[in-house]
Amino acid sequence: MHKILSIVLAAAFLIFAAAGATAEGQVFGKGVSLEKAVKVSDLLENPDKYVGETIRVEGIAVGVCSHRGCWVELASDKEGDTVRVKVKDGEIVFPPELLGSVLAAEGVWTANKLDLDTTKQLCEHKAKQAGENFDSEKVTECMTLYQISGTGAMVMDMPQKSLKKG
Amino acid sequence: MTQFRRVCRWLHRELGFFTVGLTLVYAISGLAVNHAHHWDANYQRGFEVSHMEPVGTGFTVDVLPIVLDRLALADPVKNTWRASEEHLQIFQEGTTHTVNLVTGEVTTESVKRRAMLFDLNFMHLNTGKGLWTWVADSYAIILALLAITGIFLTRGSKGLGGRGGVLMALGIALPIIYAFWMNLN
Repeated sequence: MHKILSIVLAAAFLIFAAAGATAEGQVFGKGVSLEKAVKVSDLLENPDKYVGETIRVEGIAVGVCSHRGCWVELASDKEGDTVRVKVKDGEIVFPPELLGSVLAAEGVWTANKLDLDTTKQLCEHKAKQAGENFDSEKVTECMTLYQISGTGAMVMDMPQKSLKKG
Repeated sequence: MTQFRRVCRWLHRELGFFTVGLTLVYAISGLAVNHAHHWDANYQRGFEVSHMEPVGTGFTVDVLPIVLDRLALADPVKNTWRASEEHLQIFQEGTTHTVNLVTGEVTTESVKRRAMLFDLNFMHLNTGKGLWTWVADSYAIILALLAITGIFLTRGSKGLGGRGGVLMALGIALPIIYAFWMNLN
């Protein structure tokens, strides 16, 4: 009896372990359900228009949170601009291998009005990252931080399919 | 009582043997992630700076082929991105090159999963969610069973009424004292 119980227990565990280890593909969190994506350039040109709406955006992953994988920065269709998809810590983890992949992400577009001190801190942080000099006296206006409060994402291309050379 | 103790022994032995693998997974990964503020427990990261002849801040369509030609990368390019007027990024699998088009400085950042440790952390932190959550929950219940059945393994002076009881009290006191101390500070 004991032997049978042990074997059943072990078998059940191994089945669950094997199933759990099956890769869920390149889908993060709840994935994406909306079919139509909002162009990142449209979003950034009219940010207030979409506040509170659940939207889908697509772009190359050009930045990933190196600490906890809690955000990914997607490139706009317009050079130089990006949009950030922020997820709850630990709920979704974006791995650094995502960099360079085209990602579709979904979530609520949010606006967070910062006070002047926080705006200065953010500007200082960005200047530091870019290796630029920072003068806090030049920051006189509060900034509104727009980002997607992400619920899911999906890799749209496998690396080999998106080769660009020349 | 003898029958109860016998069941405890059986459960403790069987579950103990069965969870050796999972216990090692959680123990090794636990050590690794406890020190996550000192090192990246999942990835090995590389950083290199090199130089190439500057290309200038022309249109991306014009400068990109020249940059790729000068970099002469062996592995396939995954994607490219003009991050700013001066900066062009080239993504390869696990590697990002950021080229300053004005100075010619090339910053190469690479990231590689730590062998075995990445998988152990993935399981420990339940990053994949899904069915692994069932495994992790079951393991947690088994750990509780191991702890409870362990109390009744030995009788006498080495058991609950003797040294075993003292050690158990110390083990319970440790997290309680820490919780009090945390709330005070």
